[in-house]
Amino acid sequence: MTAFWRRHSTGLITFLLLLPALAGFFGLFFYPMFLTVILSFRPEGQTVGWTLENYTMFLSDPDGRWVIYLTFILALGCTAFSVLLSVPLSLILREKVRGHRFYRLMVLIPLVVPGLIGALGLLLFWGSRGWFNLFLTQLVPFVQRPVRMNYTLHGLILFYVWLYFPYTCVTTLSTLESLDQSIEEAGAVSGANRWQVLRHIVLPLITPGILAGSVLTFMAAFGAFSVPLIAGGDYRPLAVEIYKQIAVPIPARWSAASAIAIIMGLLQVAFLVLYMRFVRRTGGAGGGGQ
Amino acid sequence: MTLARAYLRGMWEGRLILTYTLLVSFTFLILAPLLMIALRSVGKGWFGRLWLPPQLTLDWYRWAIEVGNIPEVMKNTLIIGIIAVVASTVIGIFAGWAFGRRQMPGKEVVMAMILLPRMIPPITYALGVAKIFYTLELVDTYLGVALAHVSVCAPYAILVLSATFEGLDERVLEAAGVCGANTIKRFVYVVLPLIMPGILASMIFSFTHSYNEFTLTLLTYGPHTVTLPIRTYLAVGDGYWEITSAMAMIMVVPSLVILAMIQRRAKPERLIGGFKGV
Repeated sequence: MTAFWRRHSTGLITFLLLLPALAGFFGLFFYPMFLTVILSFRPEGQTVGWTLENYTMFLSDPDGRWVIYLTFILALGCTAFSVLLSVPLSLILREKVRGHRFYRLMVLIPLVVPGLIGALGLLLFWGSRGWFNLFLTQLVPFVQRPVRMNYTLHGLILFYVWLYFPYTCVTTLSTLESLDQSIEEAGAVSGANRWQVLRHIVLPLITPGILAGSVLTFMAAFGAFSVPLIAGGDYRPLAVEIYKQIAVPIPARWSAASAIAIIMGLLQVAFLVLYMRFVRRTGGAGGGGQ
Repeated sequence: MTLARAYLRGMWEGRLILTYTLLVSFTFLILAPLLMIALRSVGKGWFGRLWLPPQLTLDWYRWAIEVGNIPEVMKNTLIIGIIAVVASTVIGIFAGWAFGRRQMPGKEVVMAMILLPRMIPPITYALGVAKIFYTLELVDTYLGVALAHVSVCAPYAILVLSATFEGLDERVLEAAGVCGANTIKRFVYVVLPLIMPGILASMIFSFTHSYNEFTLTLLTYGPHTVTLPIRTYLAVGDGYWEITSAMAMIMVVPSLVILAMIQRRAKPERLIGGFKGV
């Protein structure tokens, strides 16, 4: 017994130290996911029997497919616009303009504001009585009617960008700051003008950072729940659709909800794998350019 | 072509003004939604085409506190938050010690596995958690909602505390041992003060996540465990924007104060960090 203890004590202590974390992982993540998979193959409301009906029903329904397309449109639109906003913003903030600390804090604000509050404020600001439309109708000539932003697709993408661009921006900014300034100087000394330095030296070098940040934005936008729940109106991405399945019908349709949840999880993982492969290839090209 | 070049040169010469215009409008777009909530929550008779509320009032806050039952809701939020923080910090200290200071085979795999919940949309496992809690009758109890929060908070605690333990200098411990401190004394007088900042950081992260957690709460709450985000969401459904705004202010101001407090200490990448292994 003592010999056994002496031989295995280190491993055993490590295991005991990890036990709470592993218990939490299995109880709160692995087993729930397992249960969801099982449930998605059960006929609705029953505890025995196997069926594929929950999947076929959702995937063969045009509305169901539209939900999937919508989720991708929102997530990809948000990612694209976040990159377009983050790159110029990070380039400006790198220059240490006066008050750059304050502007950096502004970038972080959407990260700490809960999606719920953000959605509420955005609905107020972009609404027909909000400041945006007051500005348009009162200060811009030839605009008579308020422009509808709330509960529209472009408005929802805009809300997503407000909430999720900081992931891209913070990552881009930290990549830019870890960039060796002497490379740019070498480019400038070799006769490249500012645009050429930016286009051929800085951008290729920070592309891996931008892409890594955009993955985070994509994941947040793909899984967004509270924002489309409040500000989505008729636009219901996958997360809201799952919730509606258990919140609206009585009795709750757990099997249908589970099937959609599994579809959502698989789509996210599949997209991430493809994206990481793409990022690695691009990152390799960027690194090779040095 | 010359025109385009002249235009570009003009932009370059006016770059300072251009930069500041961009930065100021960016700041405005970030802050304006929050400002509108703040104004809406104290405004009275703000209808039609008015830029600012004509009268100020605190009535909406009184309504929110009395009708929305905010003291009770606040109590629920704090109790749930404290249980979640204690549980995830305990998990974090043990797991952080194992990850940061001990040799083990397959460390990367175990770490990636524990951080996996952050790669999957919360709603997908929230569904399973809710289903289990319904059978265990944990729904609508403080413990149940707090446990659901742990699945979000614990990965953060593990990340922060692993980094803390990794940064612990072995020689300091040896020095304490040479000076005659036993294991318990070493832990209390040497290790604990050194890891205290890490523990505090992990507690703050865990608490803000539990305080703001919406998805998992929505699927596990009941009439006795309404938290602040849930109360605000329910108020959105009622359609009284002023009262909703007052509740939103009550909810968001503490988060912003915490951000201002930790902004200098914590690196912003930390807030979102831990995805390096993706």
